[in-house]
Amino acid sequence: MNQQEHDQHSLTRPNRRTVLKGAASAAALGTTGALGAFSNIALAQGNLRAQILQIPGIGKGAPTDADWQKVGELCLGPTKANVKEGEFKGVELSFMGLNNQNLHNLLFRGFLKPWEAYTGAKISWIDLAQADYNPRLQQAIATGTVDFDILEMGAPFEGDVCGKGLASEMPDWVKKQVDIDDYVDYLKPPVGTWNGKTYRITIDGDCHNFNYRTDVFSDATLAKAWKDAGNASEWGVPKTWQQVQAVTKFLKGKKIKGKDVYGYLDAPKPWGGFGFYFLGSRATAYAKHPDDKAWLFDVDTMKPRINNPAWVRAIQDVVDALPSEPADQLNADPNTTGFQQFLAGIGSMIPWWGDIGQVAKASDTSVIGDVVGFDILPGSDDVYNAKTGKWDKLASGPNHAPNCAYLGWGIYVMARVNGDEKKHKAAWSAAAHVGGKDLSLWTVMYPSGFQVHRTSHSNIDEWVAAGYDRKYITSYLNSQFSSYNHPNRAVEPRIPGIFQYYSIAEDELTKIFAGKVDAQTGANNIAAAWEKLTDQIGREKQIGLYKASLGV
Amino acid sequence: MQDSSPVAAGRQDNVASKRTTPTHRTFGRGFLILASLVLVAVLLAQILHATGTIDTGFADWRPVLYAYLFWSIALGVEQVMVRGQRGLRALFLLPAVLFTLAVVIFPTLFGFYIASLDWNLSSLEGPHFNGLNNLIALFQDDYYWNALGNMVFYTVSVLGEYVIAFGLALLLNAEIRGRKFFRVVFLLPMMLSPVAVSWMIGKSLLEYRFGPVATLARDLGWDNPAFFAHPWIARFSIDAMDAWVWIPFVMIILLAGLQAMPKEVLEAAKVDGANGWQSFRHVTFPIMLPVSITVLIIRIIFKLKLADIVINVTAGGPGGATDTVSSFIYRVYRDRSNVGYGTGLAIFYLLLIVVFLMVLLRLSSRWAQKVA
Repeated sequence: MNQQEHDQHSLTRPNRRTVLKGAASAAALGTTGALGAFSNIALAQGNLRAQILQIPGIGKGAPTDADWQKVGELCLGPTKANVKEGEFKGVELSFMGLNNQNLHNLLFRGFLKPWEAYTGAKISWIDLAQADYNPRLQQAIATGTVDFDILEMGAPFEGDVCGKGLASEMPDWVKKQVDIDDYVDYLKPPVGTWNGKTYRITIDGDCHNFNYRTDVFSDATLAKAWKDAGNASEWGVPKTWQQVQAVTKFLKGKKIKGKDVYGYLDAPKPWGGFGFYFLGSRATAYAKHPDDKAWLFDVDTMKPRINNPAWVRAIQDVVDALPSEPADQLNADPNTTGFQQFLAGIGSMIPWWGDIGQVAKASDTSVIGDVVGFDILPGSDDVYNAKTGKWDKLASGPNHAPNCAYLGWGIYVMARVNGDEKKHKAAWSAAAHVGGKDLSLWTVMYPSGFQVHRTSHSNIDEWVAAGYDRKYITSYLNSQFSSYNHPNRAVEPRIPGIFQYYSIAEDELTKIFAGKVDAQTGANNIAAAWEKLTDQIGREKQIGLYKASLGV
Repeated sequence: MQDSSPVAAGRQDNVASKRTTPTHRTFGRGFLILASLVLVAVLLAQILHATGTIDTGFADWRPVLYAYLFWSIALGVEQVMVRGQRGLRALFLLPAVLFTLAVVIFPTLFGFYIASLDWNLSSLEGPHFNGLNNLIALFQDDYYWNALGNMVFYTVSVLGEYVIAFGLALLLNAEIRGRKFFRVVFLLPMMLSPVAVSWMIGKSLLEYRFGPVATLARDLGWDNPAFFAHPWIARFSIDAMDAWVWIPFVMIILLAGLQAMPKEVLEAAKVDGANGWQSFRHVTFPIMLPVSITVLIIRIIFKLKLADIVINVTAGGPGGATDTVSSFIYRVYRDRSNVGYGTGLAIFYLLLIVVFLMVLLRLSSRWAQKVA
């Protein structure tokens, strides 16, 4: 999930271009000469990855369609190894995806133009705004009017699409071509698979990390005040939610450099279902036990866990923290907390997708570029064991459970091409080209709407060579990869209608946060509504799909 | 000179219909019967195919539309062939009737059908008949009734908008300097999209941190000028934005009414010694009553559809304080893909509005007679 994926909530969005402008600046590749020298070295080494990262080059303006085509052309090697020139002549494919921020499909068009020229296939495009995407996809599924062969889709919808047999299974040659083993752990099966079959070429990774203000947590005056308030621990970045709560309450009314400083920023305002992820980030450390894959529903019954002590504690934490947050926090959605508050210097801790780190240094509205640090989400001193109904204190220390929220975008081929061998191969070849390993490095470094999702993206040297500041990018990538690869990561259930569950919860949560009902009553109401929804969608099948999504 | 009396018209009709020969009439009727058979056959085949009763059928419902168009043409031909001149006259009306049938009557009736389904787009079983369950669920839905309660507040606030709009209309009707300029300026809010207003005012001017209005409020002594964090302040803020957009509409209709008012009546009142308030109370207001009622009804209809500003600024919060029926339906339908229930909510709301407006019209009509 990226901030721009929620276009109905924001008019101005940051993009990776601005990150590159700032992070790279003049330091590494600021002069034409330096860039030329780097280019020569790269070419001399025959290093394709280094070569494509110079298109158009750091600080050379936003990439254009010509650049996308150039990158697509240079990355055609794996396609040429599997497809003869002109092999797909006469084949027509339809590709449905997003056009957020003039990215996504627009990039794919450029990447695939050389592919079309080489293979002879022709692609028609269905571009959708984020707001139209979910209804369009749901309607196509529900009414049996799938009119596209290739689909850009988020993993949470795999239950709706793969669970209903609408997607085509990935052939082995595609797995090899895209180097599927290179995906980070949390994007490996069961994500992208259904009932043991692989369906998705991953092109994006999404996970909430913890963004904090280094200046606040190294401020001597605040450190003294913290001690004076009788706290035994040292003043520093909170590592657990218990500490987050304590720090948030402590910071109420405090100032830094003459300005109000706040602690954690909650996002209580509904955000089309996506806001629920932010409660999830508070809850996973309480609710995701290392011995249990499930954390949102019971596996065998789909009984909601939203009203168990772990979730209610997380909800109560929000209720308790809100009085210490800015006065209008009730009307803040995640977009507000991330881009109007945190980047503008308000608040010292927020969870978000990787976008904050990507834009903090370079966004025109960001004032925290030099004082932002990253970590995985805080843990909890104890974790609720849903099986025993007790709180456990782990011998290993606080329980951490990074919230792998949304699981990123992927490319899927629809089952309707299965009857035509040539079309089937063509569709998968196009998908494999867009999701290619080398091409993916370019997309995670340049404005594309996609974030790191492969182990090979963790090579800091490649980022530094491309122009990023080593210290900054190391901190940022560590927070991302440590979340992705955490053994107790909380992976989102990929079941049909998952956003309906979230949307229902958001409605009830806003009542709790406004003080109309208490946390337990509100959570019980959510649970009751979720039970009703599960029955409406079909409980038995939903249980089966839930198990499949968890890989149990 | 053309004779347009009813007798002459009847005579012309007789002459015209005499021109339609039995062959014409037979052909016309036959053509319509054929087209009707085609329409029924295509419709039936597609329904059977869609319900899985038969295997063969069309890929989509477009052929049914073509069959309807063919039938519409046949109906027109039949009218001319059978009824002659009178049929030709009917042709002026038929396209509008058939169009309304296709895009208003049919979708509304189809809406009733959808409202009787349990249809969640994510449901693995697809839609199935649900009887009155959606209606029953609606009566137990706290969110719906909360939104309806908010609609009462929003609707009553129309009276406040009316008072302001009337004041502005009187002002712009008076001989003041630059009134043409002000007439244009006062109309500007109406030309703005409510979504733009949401961002320009709700998310910029009223923004807690940097909004100029919030800054001014701080300067005036309000420590925490949060316009959307407390239920009643949020409700008033939302209503103020909506009023800002629509007051110009009410004002311009009232201004048109004021300008159409006979000047003699006001002059007569003046001669009789009436002061400004008395002139307004006993002359202007009663004369303007029909215009006022019309504009109030129209404005209430618009108000009952309020959604865009709420969705963009508060998403119905805090705690449902600003939620409207339309914004709630939007969430049920769009965020939750609950097509059957969402349509049920909308249809029930439509019926409520129709009944409410009928009662309102009846009451206002009686009141207008009494005042007059």
